[in-house]
Amino acid sequence: MTKIKVLIIDDEMEFATTLAERLDLRDYESKAVESADQAFVLFQTGWTPEVIILDLKMPGVDGLATLAMIKQHNPAIEVIMLTGHGSTASGIEGMRRGLFDYLMKPVDINELVEKINEAANKHGP
Amino acid sequence: MKRFFPRSREDWFFCGTDSASLSIEDRSRCLKRSLLITMMLITMIPLCLTVGISFIQYRKLLQEETFINASWSAENARQTIEAYLERLQAAILVVSDAYTIQELVKPKTFGQIFLNLKAEHKGLVDLSLIGPDGTQLSYAGPYDLAGKNYSDSPWYNQALTRKVFVSEVFLGYRNIPHFVIAASKRNPDARGCWTLRASIDTETLDRFLSAVNNEAVDDIFLINEQGVLQSSSRYYGRVNSKVVLKIKPKKSGITMLTDQKGGQSAIRAIGYVRGTPWILVQDHQGYFHKKTWLSFRSQLALIFLICFVLSGAVAYRVATFLAASIRKSEESRELILQETEHTGKLASIGRLAAGVAHEINNPLAIINEKTGLMKDLLQQANDFPYREKFLAQLDSLENAVSRSRVITHRLLSFARRMEVKLERIALPEVIEEVLGFLDKGAAYRNITIEKFFHPNLPAIQSDRGQLQQIFLNIINNAIDAVGEGGEISISVQETARGTLQVDISDNGPGIAPEIAKNIFEPFFTTKKGKDQQGTGLGLSISYGIVKKLGGDITVNSEPGVGTTFSILFPAVTDNTEETGNDKN
Repeated sequence: MTKIKVLIIDDEMEFATTLAERLDLRDYESKAVESADQAFVLFQTGWTPEVIILDLKMPGVDGLATLAMIKQHNPAIEVIMLTGHGSTASGIEGMRRGLFDYLMKPVDINELVEKINEAANKHGP
Repeated sequence: MKRFFPRSREDWFFCGTDSASLSIEDRSRCLKRSLLITMMLITMIPLCLTVGISFIQYRKLLQEETFINASWSAENARQTIEAYLERLQAAILVVSDAYTIQELVKPKTFGQIFLNLKAEHKGLVDLSLIGPDGTQLSYAGPYDLAGKNYSDSPWYNQALTRKVFVSEVFLGYRNIPHFVIAASKRNPDARGCWTLRASIDTETLDRFLSAVNNEAVDDIFLINEQGVLQSSSRYYGRVNSKVVLKIKPKKSGITMLTDQKGGQSAIRAIGYVRGTPWILVQDHQGYFHKKTWLSFRSQLALIFLICFVLSGAVAYRVATFLAASIRKSEESRELILQETEHTGKLASIGRLAAGVAHEINNPLAIINEKTGLMKDLLQQANDFPYREKFLAQLDSLENAVSRSRVITHRLLSFARRMEVKLERIALPEVIEEVLGFLDKGAAYRNITIEKFFHPNLPAIQSDRGQLQQIFLNIINNAIDAVGEGGEISISVQETARGTLQVDISDNGPGIAPEIAKNIFEPFFTTKKGKDQQGTGLGLSISYGIVKKLGGDITVNSEPGVGTTFSILFPAVTDNTEETGNDKN
């Protein structure tokens, strides 16, 4: 069975790498990068995730702009926003731009796994 | 107890130089005092002026009237005296013309003439016939004056030079005050003049003067040029007493002057009695003795007192009412200022809370993930001797993270109370956006959400972000309330001209009335279970936002049936459209 590929984009690398490691332990193929630029470098290598876990507030290109770029690059990739600073407006704006869901840090791993599975299964198992 | 009367003079009107530093209560008291004084001045100044002018004018009128009356009365008295004396003089002249000295020396004839004259002129005391040598030839009267010689008497000498003469009052041989009317006539048969004399005592004159007296006249008497009394005076005594006149009367008519009598001013009328050496003096009571003046003065005082009391009472009522109204509006203004200040503080705290929550959430997330990773790894390491103990410690760590997470989420909820940015908004659109955010969670729990949006609804002027927050809070509460397989319905309709109503209904367990009445209070929450933890701020914030946006929010709930939240928003009218901050 093919593992679900998950990319974590977060400027808090310690968080991103730890989360990636935990997801790996749960049979996901996950990678962590700290910016949108690094994510696109990874895409150029041919590695394409089914689900991206994206931080909202990042230096440089922020989460909503990154979301737009990802959706433009590949609309099939589902993005889950995971942020420490959530607001209704940003959540709704994200949903409007094609966000799959919106979660607040710190998140329960089981809830996150559930969302990843839902997102990955959106276009059929 | 606070002072109503201020300590210093400037405090009466201005409450001191620094009234801004006073409390509302002190300012209100000061304002009330100022209003009371101002209104009393406004009412009392015209009243005092009216009363004062009336007092002066009426006194002047009375004074003039009293002068006219006194002059008229004195003139009357003078004319009466003159008429009396003229009648006597005419009678004496008639006798002297009608009879010869030879006829008059006959005692019988002379006595008869006297009796006739006395019958007609009651004041007549006696009648004498004096020969050319000054010796009395005939006498008719009560005194023994026969043979007396008057050649040295001043009246006799003056009578010889005039046709008829009225003397001053003198004692004479009888030693009783009297005056004489004498007529002299040349003797055609011999040399010299004979004189017919009539005597009148001063008691007759007194009686006569008292007869012309009236109640307004205080004193009436006669004096000669030297000021010697010719009749009795009420104040100056009997005949021959001395009276000092400050000025002499005019040769004709009545002269009016004011004089002091007993410390009060009196009106004095003086005038010569024609054909006599006498001056008539008539003293009148001042106008201040008059009943009309006393009555007018007491009525004026009564009117002034009534007006003073009435205007004082009205001014007090009005000042109290105005001061209370102004105090109320000041208190409202202060409350609004406090609320504004409080809102500003809350906004600052909110921004700070948002920053803190964000900054804490990220390290919390790292701790959470690290803890989770350690747990994951330990669960796979079955041979680790302290595995269970470590797992227990890591559970504790996760619980601490979870508690911290609740706190930061509360802070963020609080921070969502942002400033209003108005724009033209279609309510169904905002509700759809919010539902797009929530429908996955609802679908996961098999909750049905039905929408009834009336077509052609007008837009509202509002803040999109805050509207989203309102609907998110209420719909989220409904989702929590209905639970697995519940139903929620959302309708938007125009209920009245210019008002849009959003009803969010659920078929949850409902809210008990005692809870419903507190549901919009801050920090009031029913979500205290293991699965649900509420901040108690969601509905409170929603209520505040709705009110701030000019709307209203009510809850109607029946336990066991469900709950409906109704939110009213003012729709955009033509005017608001023109003046509103439409950013589209």
